[in-house]
Amino acid sequence: MAERKERVMNGVFFISALMSIVSLVLITVFMFTNGVPVMMKYGLDEFLFGTQWRPTATEPQFGLLPMIMGSVYVTIGAAVLGVPIGVLTAIFMAEYCPKWLYKILKPAVSLMASIPSIVYGFFALQFLVPLVRDSIGGNGYSILTAMILLAVMILPTVIELSESALRAVPRTYYNGSVALGATHERALFKVMLPAASSGVLSSIVLGIGRAIGETMAVVLVAGNQPLMPDGFLKGVRTLTTNIVLEMSYASGDHRSALIATGVILFVFILLINSVFLVIKNKGATK
Amino acid sequence: MTFGKTARIFSTLSITLLLAACGADETTEEGAEGSSDFDAAADIHVITREDGSGTRGAFVEVADVMDENEEDMTTPAATVQNSTSGVMQAVAGDIHSIGYISLGSLDDSVKALSIDDTEPTPDAVASGEYGVARNFNVVYGSELSEEAQDFYNFFTSQQAQELVSEEGYVPVDSEAEEYTSQGTSGDVTVVGSTSVEPLMQRFAEAYMELNPDVTIDITAPGSGAGITAAIDGSADIGMASREVDEEEASQLEGSDAIAVDGIAVITHNDNPVNEMSLEDVSSIYMGDVTTWEEVSE
Repeated sequence: MAERKERVMNGVFFISALMSIVSLVLITVFMFTNGVPVMMKYGLDEFLFGTQWRPTATEPQFGLLPMIMGSVYVTIGAAVLGVPIGVLTAIFMAEYCPKWLYKILKPAVSLMASIPSIVYGFFALQFLVPLVRDSIGGNGYSILTAMILLAVMILPTVIELSESALRAVPRTYYNGSVALGATHERALFKVMLPAASSGVLSSIVLGIGRAIGETMAVVLVAGNQPLMPDGFLKGVRTLTTNIVLEMSYASGDHRSALIATGVILFVFILLINSVFLVIKNKGATK
Repeated sequence: MTFGKTARIFSTLSITLLLAACGADETTEEGAEGSSDFDAAADIHVITREDGSGTRGAFVEVADVMDENEEDMTTPAATVQNSTSGVMQAVAGDIHSIGYISLGSLDDSVKALSIDDTEPTPDAVASGEYGVARNFNVVYGSELSEEAQDFYNFFTSQQAQELVSEEGYVPVDSEAEEYTSQGTSGDVTVVGSTSVEPLMQRFAEAYMELNPDVTIDITAPGSGAGITAAIDGSADIGMASREVDEEEASQLEGSDAIAVDGIAVITHNDNPVNEMSLEDVSSIYMGDVTTWEEVSE
């Protein structure tokens, strides 16, 4: 009897474990079967290197390069703005922060992570767009606005993971370096941070993954012109916003081309996650 | 030693940041005042809908934002918003912008321009004086079920066409016959355009009052999705706020117009420009006219 229960429960666990793999496989199969044929029909280089996105013209053009570059630029910008702030905040929280402030800061960062992205989008639409329009120029719907917004959005990912990476470094490293005459700062930046580097790098990679995948917030502030990015104050369309903008009205090849956009995004995410795995494993084998 | 250097760098950095933040604040305040001032020499911020939107398709056609091959020639520099409310919000927040929305959705937050000396009112749309208008269409992919056919017949009845005028749209048939209930029962699914959905909702309420045994289920993922659903049979009736294209028409059993909707060209309330010729609207959206002084002259 007991053995039978054992076996049934084994099956339940196995099926639960299978669910995530099955859904991943289904998503992959769906994306590729729906997206790849249209890529073949119009040519892979037209998709990857074409600069004209005119899906509803009589001779439709599905050049995704503006959106690929848009995603890349916006993501790099978000990382450049957000990563230093995030990593320094993590160091502050792990090593400098007074107890009373930590009690406020830590929940605040967790809360930031759980705010729905559409709320970030509204905030940016009402606050960042006019700010950029009035203080810097352009009409406010720009690459710069999207970068600032995404920099804020990746902060919690970078802060939380970097902080736990820093806290995971054995305290003896710190004590040892201080005993050898290093100051607090020197011990932190020369010993603790390098020791936590694989965790910090992973947090950056995950932050980048979040930035490239973000959709609902970006669509509100980016301007969404399907043009090659041309200056910080010009509008931009990313891969994700291209899908969400046009999916509801699309039909025929247009619809398939949007799924193909998803395939390209999927490949990007795969690359980013592989980088993440490599960094993590490197850290583990060290 | 390094400690000293690092600390100094940090303090310098934070002071710079602080100063920069204060500086930005000041300019913002000035800028905020400045934004209510209309500058005729400023660029027109063109706002459009996304490719494939019914409103965009109709606007491009009637405002002639097309080349000789009838291709959409909307300037690629135009900001793209993917909803009526998105366009209205963008226009309401930017004095130098211009956009277009369904006339039925117009409210006080923005100002509708007179086009070719005609104000955009339902009457002007009905008489044809206000030329920027499009049809709301319904489509079906295969033979309609009895209850779906009955609901479909209701669209062009007197009762439904009265609802059309009540909602601020223009009836397609002002002398339609009165609908009488056949006592049918069943479920009808209607899928399609977000612009048509509010009107369809009113139709469904009125129809279900007359036919309590029929349940009508309406969802609005967009015109394209509605037509696709009608073709593949996942919906009985599809709604579209644009004309059906050839590829779609070949797969559909039938389509009809249920109402006419004007498209309002909108600007910020404080924008001194009140009227424009359709030609100007077209040039702005083609990207040939880029500043306000070129049109306000």
